[in-house]
Amino acid sequence: MTRRAAMAVSGVGLAIAGYLAVVHYAGAAPVCAIAHGCATVQKSHYAELAGVPVALLGLLGYVAILASLAHDGERARVCTAGLAFAGFGFSAWLTYVEVAELHAICVWCVGSALCMTALAGLSAARLA
Amino acid sequence: MSNPLRRLLAAVTAAAVVTAAAIAVSASGGTKHTAATAPVSTTFRGIPEHAGVLGNPNAPITLTEYVDLQCPICAEASEQTLPWLVQNDVRTGKVKLQIRTLHFIGPDSERAARVASGAKAQGRLWPFVESFYAAQGQENSGYVTDAFLRSVAKAAGVNADKALAAGGQADLDQADSDATRLGVTATPTFTVARGDGQPKVIGSGVLSRAALEKALR
Repeated sequence: MTRRAAMAVSGVGLAIAGYLAVVHYAGAAPVCAIAHGCATVQKSHYAELAGVPVALLGLLGYVAILASLAHDGERARVCTAGLAFAGFGFSAWLTYVEVAELHAICVWCVGSALCMTALAGLSAARLA
Repeated sequence: MSNPLRRLLAAVTAAAVVTAAAIAVSASGGTKHTAATAPVSTTFRGIPEHAGVLGNPNAPITLTEYVDLQCPICAEASEQTLPWLVQNDVRTGKVKLQIRTLHFIGPDSERAARVASGAKAQGRLWPFVESFYAAQGQENSGYVTDAFLRSVAKAAGVNADKALAAGGQADLDQADSDATRLGVTATPTFTVARGDGQPKVIGSGVLSRAALEKALR
């Protein structure tokens, strides 16, 4: 049950990260809109990690989590938890950056952070 | 130590190492300009500016840019678009440039717009805007202080005391009313007017060189 829930959450996270990656590579012209604020988060240097788009890293992270969920052995559970905890930690950092540094919130990024938080909880429960 | 706890510890330890490394890389990226490093403006050197209009007053085409000085996309557009536009179309007398400074992002935008109006009164609006973008900080972080504005003014060759004393309300009102009339809801937005004709919106965001050339043809 926990494993299925984790798979479902990973699927949602995968879709969000996929969307953000497409937006990143599509290079849509961002603007600062009177009604919606600026595309500050996507344009900031935090949107990339050592030249790799964070959205792509998230996408790969969700793929890896889904792959680890395909198995139910002890190693696979530790692997899932390690990935989910790392994702949760980095998502927490990015959320801090949005609030404290950029003063801008990316709703899709928050959605992915919530998925990672749920995955961290579910994968910890599977280790118990 | 029990097996579940050992597994949990292993996962947490591995994740902590990866996360710490990722955060270290993420936090080290990028550079921020400060007021003390506002570079001296050079793009518009030698080009006449009258009442905020840059270039030959009789140029047949008027390109107007709607900006918010806090807008990072406006800074990017300025950096990518203006140098060749100025070189090819403004210096040659084909196009004159206007700017309308909006202030919707926050209080820092309004302070910046008012001082920009003071720079405009001194015939140094465009250098001021260029220097401001070069030193631009994070939106609404309160970075647009008097010290910051003085540094930008100095880099742009603007008398800071006079510029900071400017109210600029008329320019703010004109920018707002023009934006409302033309339906401008985002920055940067560009409009083009031919002769005494009505301005038309040609696009928003960082426009490509091809798109601008087509609009100015």
